[in-house]
Amino acid sequence: MPIVVRIDVELAKQKMSVGEFAERVGLTPANVAVLKNGRAKAVRFSTLEAMCRVLNCQPGDLLEFTED
Amino acid sequence: MKITSLAVVALRIVLVAAFLLLLLFQVMSMPGQFAHMAAEDPERAYLQWPLTVFAILELACVQVVIVSTWKLLTMVRRDQIFSRQAFVWVDAIMWAIAAAWTMLAVFFAIVVLNADDPGMPLLLVLMLTAGAAVGLVVVVLRALLRQAADLRSDLEAVI
Repeated sequence: MPIVVRIDVELAKQKMSVGEFAERVGLTPANVAVLKNGRAKAVRFSTLEAMCRVLNCQPGDLLEFTED
Repeated sequence: MKITSLAVVALRIVLVAAFLLLLLFQVMSMPGQFAHMAAEDPERAYLQWPLTVFAILELACVQVVIVSTWKLLTMVRRDQIFSRQAFVWVDAIMWAIAAAWTMLAVFFAIVVLNADDPGMPLLLVLMLTAGAAVGLVVVVLRALLRQAADLRSDLEAVI
């Protein structure tokens, strides 16, 4: 997938664990893993909003387009 | 959802009753009827076994539809209806109707060739038309189920 979800970078900036992130966003750890591995096919805007709120960042900080 | 689960329970009761009635027809009523007709009319007694087998097979097709519907209802209750497994049973219903319709069409052809009054052929045409309509409705519903199953699997991929 050419769209990469950069959760780990923002997590490192906030010094937040994956488990805490999953709980605060309201995602299952399995779905967080799917996002991090780049296997996600679609993300709800409400999920994106919750992630931005928890990580205190913009959607652009989380999503990145890369040529394969 | 409440009305759906009530309908499912009611439908299950109807399905069990229908299945048992069909079984009664298969093992007692139909063979008995044709044996009686053979005894009444010895000239056409040779029709007894072909007609008995035909009647039992037609009813067996209906029983396949009943069992498949039961299985699909179980999937509805478990919220698994929009999945690939549902198509096993939907296809079983479709093929059972196709088989029953084909057998009825052959029967109709034989009856038309030998009929001396239009009553029986007309009744059979009515049954063939109704059977075709039911079968085609199943085909359309199957296509709708496929669309819904595809949408469900798309939605399940959304995080």
